[in-house]
Amino acid sequence: MNWQGLELSILGPACLAGLLVLSTHVPLGQQVLARGIIFIDLAIAQVAALGVILAQYFGMDEQGIGVEIAAAAAALAGGALLTWTDRKWPDYQEPLIGTLFVLAATGGLLLLANNPHGSEHLKDLLVGQILWVSLHHLIGTALLSAVLLAVMWWQRAHLAGPLFYALFALAITASVQLVGVYLVFASLIVPALATAGLSGVRRLVVAYAIGVAGYVAGLVLSAVLDLPSGAMIVWTLAGCGIVGRALLALRGHKNDVAAAARMI
Amino acid sequence: MLKVYVCLLLLVATRIAGAFEVFACEPEWGALLKELGGDNLQVAVGTSALQDVHVIEAKPSLIAKVRRADLIVCSGADLEIGWLPQLIRQAGNPKVASGPGYFLASDQITTLEKPTSLDRSEGDIHPQGNPHFQLDPYRVLAVAKALAARLAELDTAHAADYQKRLADFSTRWQAAIKAWEAKAAPLKGRKVVVHHLSWIYLEQWLGMEQIGALEPKPGVPPTSGHLASLVDLTKNSHAFAILRAAYQDPKPGDWLAEQTGVPAVTLPFTVGGDDKAKDLFGLFDSTIDKLLAVAK
Repeated sequence: MNWQGLELSILGPACLAGLLVLSTHVPLGQQVLARGIIFIDLAIAQVAALGVILAQYFGMDEQGIGVEIAAAAAALAGGALLTWTDRKWPDYQEPLIGTLFVLAATGGLLLLANNPHGSEHLKDLLVGQILWVSLHHLIGTALLSAVLLAVMWWQRAHLAGPLFYALFALAITASVQLVGVYLVFASLIVPALATAGLSGVRRLVVAYAIGVAGYVAGLVLSAVLDLPSGAMIVWTLAGCGIVGRALLALRGHKNDVAAAARMI
Repeated sequence: MLKVYVCLLLLVATRIAGAFEVFACEPEWGALLKELGGDNLQVAVGTSALQDVHVIEAKPSLIAKVRRADLIVCSGADLEIGWLPQLIRQAGNPKVASGPGYFLASDQITTLEKPTSLDRSEGDIHPQGNPHFQLDPYRVLAVAKALAARLAELDTAHAADYQKRLADFSTRWQAAIKAWEAKAAPLKGRKVVVHHLSWIYLEQWLGMEQIGALEPKPGVPPTSGHLASLVDLTKNSHAFAILRAAYQDPKPGDWLAEQTGVPAVTLPFTVGGDDKAKDLFGLFDSTIDKLLAVAK
């Protein structure tokens, strides 16, 4: 047991980062699950990383806004490519996403053969450490999340095709740099999976509750048990997903019993 | 329940007020602080010998430790560039962010392999020279002297004690250096192949010659052409060992050992890297014993 890490000023920024990621990823995750393209986040993250490596390959400065733009542009291009493949070969979308993932990942390795400094960015982009989050990262991400959420709400009836892939690419590029690919995957998939079968606002509310509980529990546990925060949150998210699912099943069962009682 | 909390808080508060707290980035500096400070210091070490200190996982306790520290002691020369700046920023402790509370061992010595030009194509190089200097006992002694002076400056109540302990450590250390040099004499002029370029100080001290590296450009995986020439070089130039640190993946070294018949040796690299390397003396004892074991 270790109580010294349990300070709001240490865990607070990380918690805020988690909430921002959840805000866009919970609704996007439901789309991802419905389409059965769950590895799309890995593919888009790798394509964004490839964009950063390419930008450096052509001599762009490694700090600053240029790299962010390169990552977002590459992710959008990846999103556009996937929109096209989705139209052309809808039955093969998942294997195509997998192929794009390995091509982007290994393409990075080939380019990095001569540019080792890109490897640090690649790692940052993929592993991203939630505890290192700083306020200026959060401001940018908060603005982007607000815009994405507004577009999602405004276009909620037409959240398909190019718009979905573009929103998704931008959301993933920002969140992967903030919290890393494992947490992004868990934030997308776990709340959506745990609430499968529900719908509408009710599903969103339950999914958000599971996500928030997972992040808070993970951060507190990582402080108390002195374990890496990102990995811990993935496990508490999954735990909260299972508990949420069990509670839903219990309620569903009660309702069944009540309905059966009324029938008699 | 509330009472228990108050008691716990008081306990923690008195403990904090009692000791001068130091955060060491690497185990070798943690061990040195124990030699120089004994019970006057409360030392927290950020990494272990089984970790690659270039990259570490962020844990809340790390931030908490730096936040409470009166002094941080790190290798420097950009070794911790991937995480120390963020850790200090996140901890928000002005005492250790700069000035006397921020002690870099690399500032106390001269580093080797300082590049004359910063060419990206040479790999993940450190512009301030090679930061893995803990295996040169003379540089360790230089760091010890500077560190004792810094401790005396910051923790004035125990200033005399730090100087006394430094004198004691330095006598024992210099005697040990003589013993190690005598024992390691057969290693002089022998050739080694290394995994990462982290052994230059040990090689220079003991007079060993590095003929090649599995990772010639730090941070970049080797190409097949490089490996082929390395196999030939290792065989033809009669290297006696392939050196790697306890934290490194054994596969590349084992592969080269299998190809060439030259044994791969896992050295502790820092304090805690094997059972014998319990302190700085044990680290050097174990390193030299392991080298001698394959040198015959």
